[in-house]
Amino acid sequence: MNETPLIPAGVKRCSKWQFSLWMAAVTAVLLWGVYAMFLIWYKGLNQTNMNNAYGFALWIWADLAVIALGGGAFFSGFLTYIIGKKELKNIINFAVIIGFICYSSALLILAIDIGQPLRGWFIFWHANVHSMLTEVAFCLSCYFAVLTIEFIPLILENPKIDKVPFFHHLGHNMHGIMAIFAATGVFLSFFHQGSLGGVAGVLFGRPFAFREHIFIWPFTFFLFTWSAAACGPCFTILVTWITEKITRKKLVKDSVIQLFAKISGWMIITYIIAKTIDTLYWAFVTAPGLGFKLMDFYASPTYNIGLLFTEIVLCGFVPGLILITKRGRENSFSLMTAVILAVIGVCINRWVMVLQVMAVPVLSFNEWYTYMPSWQEIATTVLPVAYGLIVISLAYRYLPVFPQEKELNPID
Amino acid sequence: MKVARRSFLSLSLGVAAGVTLSPLPWKLMDDISIWTQNWPWTPVPEDGEISYAQSICTLCPGGCGINVRKINNRPVKIEGLKEHPLNKGGLCPLGMSGLQYLYGPSRIQSPLKRVGKRGSGNWKKITWKEALADVSEKLYDLRVSGRPQALACIASTDRGTVPKLIARFLTAYGSPNFIRASTAFDSLEQAIYLTQGQQGTPGIDIENADFILSFGTGILDGWGGASRMCNLYGKHNSTKKIIQIEPRLSDTAVCATEWIGINPGTEAALALGLAHVIIKESLYNKDFVEYVSFGFDDWTDEDGTVHEGFAKLAGSYPPDKVSQITGISKTKIVSLARKFARASKPIALAGRGQGSVPGSIDECLAIHSLNALVGNINRTGGVSVIPGPDYAKWPEVKMDVAASKGMQQPRIDGAGGKQFPNTQFLLNRLPEIINSAKGESPVQALLVADANPLYTLPDTAATKKAFNRIPFIVSFSSYMDETSAMADYILPNHSYLERYQDVPTPAGLARPLIGLAKPVINPVYDTKHVGDSFIQIAKSLGGFIENAFPWDNYEAFLKESLDDQWDELNNKGFIENKYDDLPAPLAYSFNTVSSKFEFYPTLRNNPKNKDVDVLPAFTPVPIEGDFQKFPLVLIPYDSIRLAGNYIANSPFMTKTIDDTVLKQQTVLVEINPITAKKLGLCEKDKAVLITPKGKADVKIHLYEGIMPGVLALPRGLGHTAYSKYLADKGVNVNDLIGPIKDPSSGHDMAWGIRARLTKA
Amino acid sequence: MKEKNNHTKRFGMVIDLDKCTGCGSCMVACYAENNVPFRVDETNKLDSLSWLVVHKITNGKPYPNTEICYLPMPCMQCDGIGKHGHSPCVSVCPAVATDYDHETGIVSQIYTRCFGCRYCMAACPYHARKFNWWDPVWPADMKKYLSPNVSPRMRGVVEKCSFCFHRYQQAKDKAFYEKREELYEDEYQTACAEACPTGAITFGDLNNKNHAVYKLKKDPRAFRLLERLHTNPKVYYLTSKSWVRRAGDNYLANEEPGKIKQEMVHGH
Ligand SMILES: Nc1nc2c(c(=O)[nH]1)N[C@H]1C(S)=C(S)[C@@H](COP(=O)(O)OP(=O)(O)OC[C@H]3O[C@@H](n4cnc5c(=O)[nH]c(N)nc54)[C@H](O)[C@@H]3O)O[C@H]1N2
Ligand SMILES: Nc1nc2c(c(=O)[nH]1)N[C@H]1C(S)=C(S)[C@@H](COP(=O)(O)OP(=O)(O)OC[C@H]3O[C@@H](n4cnc5c(=O)[nH]c(N)nc54)[C@H](O)[C@@H]3O)O[C@H]1N2
Ligand code: SF4
Ligand code: SF4
Ligand code: SF4
Ligand code: SF4
Ligand code: SF4
Ligand SMILES: [Mo]
Repeated sequence: MNETPLIPAGVKRCSKWQFSLWMAAVTAVLLWGVYAMFLIWYKGLNQTNMNNAYGFALWIWADLAVIALGGGAFFSGFLTYIIGKKELKNIINFAVIIGFICYSSALLILAIDIGQPLRGWFIFWHANVHSMLTEVAFCLSCYFAVLTIEFIPLILENPKIDKVPFFHHLGHNMHGIMAIFAATGVFLSFFHQGSLGGVAGVLFGRPFAFREHIFIWPFTFFLFTWSAAACGPCFTILVTWITEKITRKKLVKDSVIQLFAKISGWMIITYIIAKTIDTLYWAFVTAPGLGFKLMDFYASPTYNIGLLFTEIVLCGFVPGLILITKRGRENSFSLMTAVILAVIGVCINRWVMVLQVMAVPVLSFNEWYTYMPSWQEIATTVLPVAYGLIVISLAYRYLPVFPQEKELNPID
Repeated sequence: MKVARRSFLSLSLGVAAGVTLSPLPWKLMDDISIWTQNWPWTPVPEDGEISYAQSICTLCPGGCGINVRKINNRPVKIEGLKEHPLNKGGLCPLGMSGLQYLYGPSRIQSPLKRVGKRGSGNWKKITWKEALADVSEKLYDLRVSGRPQALACIASTDRGTVPKLIARFLTAYGSPNFIRASTAFDSLEQAIYLTQGQQGTPGIDIENADFILSFGTGILDGWGGASRMCNLYGKHNSTKKIIQIEPRLSDTAVCATEWIGINPGTEAALALGLAHVIIKESLYNKDFVEYVSFGFDDWTDEDGTVHEGFAKLAGSYPPDKVSQITGISKTKIVSLARKFARASKPIALAGRGQGSVPGSIDECLAIHSLNALVGNINRTGGVSVIPGPDYAKWPEVKMDVAASKGMQQPRIDGAGGKQFPNTQFLLNRLPEIINSAKGESPVQALLVADANPLYTLPDTAATKKAFNRIPFIVSFSSYMDETSAMADYILPNHSYLERYQDVPTPAGLARPLIGLAKPVINPVYDTKHVGDSFIQIAKSLGGFIENAFPWDNYEAFLKESLDDQWDELNNKGFIENKYDDLPAPLAYSFNTVSSKFEFYPTLRNNPKNKDVDVLPAFTPVPIEGDFQKFPLVLIPYDSIRLAGNYIANSPFMTKTIDDTVLKQQTVLVEINPITAKKLGLCEKDKAVLITPKGKADVKIHLYEGIMPGVLALPRGLGHTAYSKYLADKGVNVNDLIGPIKDPSSGHDMAWGIRARLTKA
Repeated sequence: MKEKNNHTKRFGMVIDLDKCTGCGSCMVACYAENNVPFRVDETNKLDSLSWLVVHKITNGKPYPNTEICYLPMPCMQCDGIGKHGHSPCVSVCPAVATDYDHETGIVSQIYTRCFGCRYCMAACPYHARKFNWWDPVWPADMKKYLSPNVSPRMRGVVEKCSFCFHRYQQAKDKAFYEKREELYEDEYQTACAEACPTGAITFGDLNNKNHAVYKLKKDPRAFRLLERLHTNPKVYYLTSKSWVRRAGDNYLANEEPGKIKQEMVHGH
């Protein structure tokens, strides 16, 4: 009997044996994370090194970071379906998968992070509409649903599934209406990315995070959405590049990458200018008004002024400038340097907005708070990475993720 | 096949959508969320009828009024009694956490008999009948062997009917060795006796004093009834001046009007220096000194020998010399002396911290002399003597031959003997005496009631060695404390909330105030009032001993003792004497040889003890250790959040301790940053603290509020017994410090020890 | 006879730092009143459950000029910006597990609603909120002293000082039976205020002219912690020491406490 192959036609994949070995390795890491996860659920959050001063820590950073990095999904959807940048169709599948991984990870992390996981339901059941987290939770869940819907047609394209007429038609019909979901996704993303910015910005008891006047609304919202839109694509490009290196194949044409990079570059530049304005106003008006000078916030060995420089100049202006110049984009070394810097930049930003907010002493007689995550926290943070690798590996192997792959890598 | 699969899938999707849109999953989610609130291991306290029971707190000698809130007769909270004149509704943290003692894991729940090696923690539960029979038999055998005096009893106090009952038992049995733990009040008591010829509790009228010159007394660190002192401070802190003199910024120093750092152990020199200025500038109370004092000026006795008077002694302590000794500037000494003498009701206090160490008699006399210089003796706002409680007369103890022979033996601790004629009890000497005895221990049986000497006595190792030489030890403690852990039998007392106990005038209070602690709950465990245990042992010993106890039980004894006060006490909880009842100024005639206040305490002229000068000159206490090997000085400090005595810390109190005092299981030693820098030590560094008596692992806490060169450790940590909530936390400072015998009183006068600190 | 209840209450506290000796009774009273559990090792103050923490602050000067001040900190029951219950912590809670009670001004905490996201902890600059990192355990027979008026908390939720709200409810119930609308000042007192042996803590209705706190909050020694953040606390402090007052907020080198323009000093 001639079985329908599991692997899409016209592409070459590594041997089953090689693939299994790789999967076994990643699964081992995953299981380590899963074990830590169950420890945390079974024994409680005492398994972490969080404390009453550090109520938000590694996980919330990981949450914010993956959501920012997953921003490539909504932004590519926005560019493809709403702005009409059709070339980006060649990378949008991958952007959606990365987005799906990021958002499912974000939800999982949240479920681990809360002290009473089964009561997470109360966010929806007893929602406080004034809370940024409520907005985040709603939009996150809805957007995750949208990403799932965006992911499904791709799954349905697997040759074996596609053979089932129902799925074939379902996939076809879903493709037809994908623009609507993409638009919904963009709408939801604008909201929750923005709300995540608000999570820290509204903390008027935390002068390091707090912003006033227009710098709270719309600025904190705008900055988070904008930075996710700016750096999310960089993450998509980075993961694509890594995938290409691992598979030793060109998967997306340079023109597509460069277009994506160019848009990202302009986004980064505009974002970082806005961020600079925000920082200057905060440093010279907001903070002194609350009795702080800028250096009060950078008076610890860990949190020194170098961090601010790295975030804004090294990982902001530098990649932005590289990406908006043609020469910078075309040289693959400078392109990838810029992409990596941008990804680091947005991660630092989220780190600072979560962990430094907790570390800075507010009462004059408090000290800088320090915190080192426990292995359980690290394992559960690595868990989504392993999970992501598994999903990407499976998707790459069994789904026609990269429309240009066949053209770029003809068999024979 | 295809159709079936397709319709199956459609059906599944339809069902999924239907279920999602139905209320089912949403309701289910809510139920699940609510389940997590009903975890069976999160207790749900039983509700019921509220009632209150009033009593007196006996966790320390403070004697505060408490109001116990109960639900269905189950005590749930201890509150301060608003009507009580001392604490007025407030309570110290010890009193506040009382219910943790009632129900705590270190309670002894039934009589126990040791089965394993001593101290191994192997016990057998026995019945009260067995316990009392065994103990009685042992005591009977000891007595029959002709050595009733080899029975000793240690108690924390000799005041109140319980210690009186125990002492009575010993008398009938034939042992003079009832031994009470000593405190700084013993020294003051002796100083008062020597200068005024009066016996009784020292009354220190802080309530009415306006200038408190404290030579390290922890008036806000747990001294003299923590709640009373705090209450007074809160009410008067803007009107009373408190001058705190000590080398460490204690909580008392923190709250004081002025804190003056002093070289440790030089307080007596300062007192004499202040006297010098007061006398030189003629600021003393002329009436008092001229008409009712003796030995101020030089005097000539009947033999024509000229004796130096106090003024001349003080004359040899001019400010520059005193400044050299104490490290306090000359100008400060002079201005302090003037402020003290010019205050309307100044009072000078001796005794460091909570006053757990008696201290040097010379020092106490020098400080007490300041009170006399300003004439603040036996008057409002000064120092007076409160007579003991006025118990109804009990029938006299008839002694058989064995008893009277035993009672004629000298006390084992040497108190009241030729060497220390003015001292009543010398618990601190007991370990040394037992350890140095040739042959068998002079103590053959030891009863311990409301005391924990294996923790509270200095030089724990020596105490332990001594206890190991005592063949038979009985503890009456409610808790598995260090002494109980070393006992052969434990006959557990009711906890303080389950028993009757009279509370005589709290230490230091300048007016009589008697309280009655009452059971607020039926005994939770199989325990017995220590008074009943003694009465029952007496009854089984039979003969004259039995006859000495004509009461059925302790309650009957107590009722009879309190006589016509019983009803009022039982109803109201306390009987208060107002200040108006205090003697008028100078009303007392002193019972001294001269019938005056003796600056020159004639009674101290002891031909049997030539080491002692009569006048209280300043002689540095020879603290142990060689300066070369031990360049630093270690002093213990008291904290109101730590119970340093026979009642150990509650889990709640331990919870309040700062992490600069205890971190995990390690204690932090306080050290000035300058000293630490010289030793290359930083905050939280691990270090080893070594004294001539022992060594301990510590961590470093840099504290600006301590004199350079001085180290401080808290009292109240380092327990080895009780429960995991208390044991093995830090070190017992008594492991590191040894007693130093005062040559005139025999009391322990050690204020510290030399030490060295090395980085671990 | 019914007395008229003609104003909104704003229960608050005035803590006289000149009187506080740091004895810690208030902390213990709070544990005992509110069924606060304890653990074998409580020396990590960052994971210890304590609704009231007595801080020890210092002027930092070397021996012998060192000074120390004890500073008891319960929940400040912040009124927040605009005094409409926009407390830092309340507005952020996604599940309304903590709320501002407009009748009393007390910030509540509903343990059975809280799902432990700890956003409120991040929001509170006073570290008044504590998380139940462990299941509460009472050894031996200690469960027997638990009070039925405050429910023991389960693992995984946040708790904090409630101004002993259950005492308010009990006082209200009593007043209701006695047909009174108004409570007497001494009828509703917090456990810590009652226990404090120095009387450093005064509690009452900041809006009621007849209550002691009404006058005390206007004492020239009065200040609140972190007033510049507009948290608008209902816990006031009194001190006569300028360095203590300075330690109560953040100031630039050239700024003088008390001379900073603030819209909301002293609330009403
Ligand atoms: N070096 C040094 N020596 C000291 C001290 C010191 O700090 N350092 N402290 C001194 C002082 S101040 C004192 S008070 C003595 C005391 O110190 P000790 O006299 O040595 O203490 P104990 O009286 O042995 O312990 C009393 C026992 O009574 C038991 N008990 C059980 N239930 C109750 C109860 O409900 N109420 C009471 N009251 N007791 C109960 C306790 O378990 C405890 O073990 O030691 C003095 N000696
Ligand atoms: N938070 C907290 N508070 C505490 C403590 C604590 O650890 N933590 N410790 C408590 C303790 S144990 C103490 S000792 C206090 C400090 O206060 P201390 O007063 O030092 O207490 P006592 O030594 O019990 O005082 C009683 C003294 O009165 C004398 N006395 C009175 N009447 C008579 C009499 O008729 N005959 C004789 N012979 N003597 C009499 C005795 O010398 C006896 O020692 O602080 C207490 N408060
Ligand atoms: S001072 Fe003493 S008597 Fe008063 S409450 Fe405290 S422990 Fe009890
Ligand atoms: S002190 Fe903290 S917990 Fe209390 S109301 Fe203010 S912000 Fe909320
Ligand atoms: S931890 Fe509880 S109270 Fe705090 S914000 Fe989250 S749900 Fe609300
Ligand atoms: S008001 Fe009540 S809950 Fe708040 S700290 Fe005081 S005792 Fe605790
Ligand atoms: S109980 Fe009173 S004196 Fe003691 S620490 Fe608390 S506020 Fe200060
Ligand atoms: Mo004591």
